[in-house]
Amino acid sequence: MRRFGLTALVVAALVTVGSALAGSTADPGVSSDTILIGGTSPISGEASSAAAVARGAEAYFKSVNAAGGVNKRKIVYKYLDDGYDPSKTVQVVRELVQQDQVFAIFNTLGTNNNLAVRDFLNQSGVPQVFVASGAQTWGADYKKYPWTIGFIPSYVLEGIVYGRYIVKNYPTLKLGVLYQDDAYGKDMVAGLKKGLGKNGQQMVSLVGYDPTAASVASQVAQIKSSKANAYLIFAFGKFAVQASIEAAKLGWKPKLVIVNVVASSANLMGLGDVAGGKPINKGAISIAALKDPTDPRWAKDPGLAAARKILKKYIPGANPKDGYYYAGMASAISFVNVLKRAGQNPTRASLMKAARSQNQPKHPLLIPGVAVKTSPTDGFPIEQVALQRWVSGKGSVPGHWSLFGPLRTAKS
Amino acid sequence: MRGLRGSSFATAAAVVLFVAAVALLPFAIDDFQASQYAYVGIYFIAICGLNILTGYTGQISLGHGAFMAVGGYTTAILAAKAGFPYWTTIPLAGVIAGAAGLLLAIPALRLSGLYLALATFGIALAAPALIKKYPDLTGGSTGLSFDLVSAPSWLGLSTNDWYYYLCWAIALALLGAAWLLLRGRTGRSFRAVRDSEVAAVSFGIHLPTYKMLAFSVSAFYAGVAGALFAVVNLSYVSPETFALRLSIYLVVGTVAAGLGTLWGIVFGALLIEWLVVPTFEVATVSRTDIVEWADKILPLTLDPSAIGIADFVFGAVLVGVMLVLPKGAGGLLRRGVTSLADRLYTR
Repeated sequence: MRRFGLTALVVAALVTVGSALAGSTADPGVSSDTILIGGTSPISGEASSAAAVARGAEAYFKSVNAAGGVNKRKIVYKYLDDGYDPSKTVQVVRELVQQDQVFAIFNTLGTNNNLAVRDFLNQSGVPQVFVASGAQTWGADYKKYPWTIGFIPSYVLEGIVYGRYIVKNYPTLKLGVLYQDDAYGKDMVAGLKKGLGKNGQQMVSLVGYDPTAASVASQVAQIKSSKANAYLIFAFGKFAVQASIEAAKLGWKPKLVIVNVVASSANLMGLGDVAGGKPINKGAISIAALKDPTDPRWAKDPGLAAARKILKKYIPGANPKDGYYYAGMASAISFVNVLKRAGQNPTRASLMKAARSQNQPKHPLLIPGVAVKTSPTDGFPIEQVALQRWVSGKGSVPGHWSLFGPLRTAKS
Repeated sequence: MRGLRGSSFATAAAVVLFVAAVALLPFAIDDFQASQYAYVGIYFIAICGLNILTGYTGQISLGHGAFMAVGGYTTAILAAKAGFPYWTTIPLAGVIAGAAGLLLAIPALRLSGLYLALATFGIALAAPALIKKYPDLTGGSTGLSFDLVSAPSWLGLSTNDWYYYLCWAIALALLGAAWLLLRGRTGRSFRAVRDSEVAAVSFGIHLPTYKMLAFSVSAFYAGVAGALFAVVNLSYVSPETFALRLSIYLVVGTVAAGLGTLWGIVFGALLIEWLVVPTFEVATVSRTDIVEWADKILPLTLDPSAIGIADFVFGAVLVGVMLVLPKGAGGLLRRGVTSLADRLYTR
């Protein structure tokens, strides 16, 4: 009896020590050889073309893992389909956090989708990093939501840049704006109005569409009938494609501005550049922070070349001109950078600390001069952009984007 | 006489077993699964309500998702914009949805059968658009969030366990209320309306009264379910939360549960959650597993992760269930319990 008691005591002591050791290791999702992160992506639904963002990030992580990982840990990136439907995002993110015990939620796409889970993630103390959306709130509300940070340039900044460019170069154009009637589209419109400043009357038509609608055909017709001669497409997914096609169907040939988050998609800009088609997006203006894969000036760029190699190796059959892959990779590159600086044994808190003190003046996939920089009081990683123009394909030369002008910020 | 006693004893035993199972389930599952079973409790409430209308009174509704939307948005708006504690909004959500049910019953009185189905289908279709029409109140397509809910600290429960017990406590209470309502005079009148309106009228049953009562009780249940949905859905509602699909699922769940019986509701509720969430497991079977099995049985080379395949297989399973169990799980259970009890008593 006594011996039994002694054995039990020893076992109990060992178990206690063992579990104390195990308990002290790390936050959820971090093991001795892996880091599990999660996210959602519109793999199905209206915005499925943008699933390439998550796939591009995944490809980059695979290349990092093949080279040994980060501090000898491999990054496992589990992204699930939410169909661009925020109510599904809630279910999927809860599953990732509570069932899969991910370390962080990374690169989840969509403004509404991220808004739907922001309270939950902040209350649970789970990093919501590099949100794949440019809504102003990710950067502006860092005090209220310390666990959330964005990545891409803000939509307000983008709107401002268009507004200023139009006022300076085309003060007589009449603008018709199609926007997605949610936080994303409204941020774009707010920025545009700010950029137009006193020339606000240039905007003759402002028409929103519901992101769950079937089509934007009637909205496009409404904008055309306003006699606008410039057409600003602040849409997403299939709606952006419809917005472009419907205008062409109506025989409308306005000056075009296409929002950055769709301008990089191969399926939109390739329209009309396919054999026999008319180049319907000719001369369109957009902004860029990323080196666009179609722009010939980067043909020999080492950063983009490395990215193309990764894409070819890990996503066979991927369209090397689809900017969404590179957008995802750019985000993944910065994430790896942050993770490295989060310490030998990263915690959720150390990850956020590193994300709030980024300083990457030379990012391999960003336009030279565009830095990734944050501070505890600056929650906007990318704050410089350049304008670019779509040059339609001719003969054997395919259509491509071409940068012009200086780098622009919200101030200049 | 003997058989009757036997079956009421069996009924009591089954109810006790069921309540015990509900109370003990969280000890057998992990924390995340508790949140999934909380949704099952929510669908349980909605199906219970829909069964009163469709199963007992014979009035088809393809629009119950819209009543859930009324409940869900009542809770979200009151909690987010008027600062109500979430639990006070749950009965209010039921009452407001019940009132909406009463209003919609007035035109519905003139319709029956297929026409009623189509009219209620229209309500389900229109609900998301109507919600988006008033973005200042409802948040439009962005949806509406309110403060996250947590368990009262003295209970020491995790948030997900709290969701579970909250939903199931209300579900069991409402099941009891439905049973009381249906066993008496009101229930007999409902059934009379269902079986033959002409006969019911000739027995002195005022059709409009009972149809409107059934509609509004049923909508009350849906409203409570919607309120709980908003709470458990991490305090977030969006128009898509209550899309047309939900209304259809509720009908599917009700039919699979068995019309005109309260026995099978839990199976209908499990089926809906299984339908909505591919990774939800009932007795360690998820939709993904079914796809894998189908793949082994037939040389289909299905990819379980491919989009839409799980839905496709689910459709096939549903057809199979309807063929094998035309009276739903409830019909099968009732038959089984009654004949078992009879046998035990007669031998």
